[in-house]
Amino acid sequence: MRFARGAASELIGLFVADWLQTAVIVAILAAGWYAVAGLHASPLPVLPALVLLLAAQLVWFTLAEARRTRSAPKRSPSASPS
Amino acid sequence: MYQQLFAFGAAFLGSAVESTEALTIVLAVGLTRGWRSPLYGTVLALVSLAVLVVLFGQLIVQRVPDSVLKLVIGTLLLLFGLRWLHKAVLRSAGVIALHDEEQAYEKTVSELRVAVTRQDWVGFVIAFKGVFLEGLEVVFIVVAVGGTSLYFPWAVAGGLLAMVVVAAAGFVIRKPLARVPENTLKYAVGIALTSLGTFWAAEGMGASWPLDFVSILFLAAAYFAASRLAVQLIRRPALA
Repeated sequence: MRFARGAASELIGLFVADWLQTAVIVAILAAGWYAVAGLHASPLPVLPALVLLLAAQLVWFTLAEARRTRSAPKRSPSASPS
Repeated sequence: MYQQLFAFGAAFLGSAVESTEALTIVLAVGLTRGWRSPLYGTVLALVSLAVLVVLFGQLIVQRVPDSVLKLVIGTLLLLFGLRWLHKAVLRSAGVIALHDEEQAYEKTVSELRVAVTRQDWVGFVIAFKGVFLEGLEVVFIVVAVGGTSLYFPWAVAGGLLAMVVVAAAGFVIRKPLARVPENTLKYAVGIALTSLGTFWAAEGMGASWPLDFVSILFLAAAYFAASRLAVQLIRRPALA
């Protein structure tokens, strides 16, 4: 049972480190999907916007974690072994 | 041809990193408590993982519609790649420590220094757990990178070759592979998987990329630029 729980949390941990960041990424993708498939917008402005937003969230969340880690150096959510 | 090579390379590099972590655990158990039980654990874990690859690979390739497959796997690949990239940026900027295989090895060894019984279940379970859990990441990388029938054999070949190369290196030197530049590999694989994930997720939405597969190179350049920007911003004195 402990092994199954460990495997499940390992599996979720492959994709999710920070639930807020994951929600933001999924929201960006959902907005892109709605624009392309729902509104039938031309992909040309949608694709660069999608990439810019994904790159921007990467910068934002790494900076936020760096701030958090430095203000509380002994408690890092990223300090897992993998 | 470039697409197949990209799938092979991404699966190879990603699998090599995870195989190194699994090897560290198996070496620690084997050298501390004897080889028999940890090798059984390793073989059982590898067989379980092979079954997962065959089952999920076949199921995904044959049953799931192409657009759904690209959207779902693209999203998962993006989340997976961004997680690696996020950590690689923090390690490059010195916010979190580099992963040290020798330290991980010594930690496992010190936990195992107790009397060994004839049937060493502890060695078996630790080796099985280490190989299975690290191997799950290899399976995901292989299934996700080779998610379309065209690239699946290439990704499987990349993943298998990485495991063989790492296992052979471990067998020859009988020490943890401390010199593998893990953060650099994770950085590169993070960018490759994030780019591939963005490409597929957008294709799954119904969008077509200009220049088709070549646009992955531009995506990689964009994510690399963003990650370097993040490293520079983190290193600024105001934040540091």
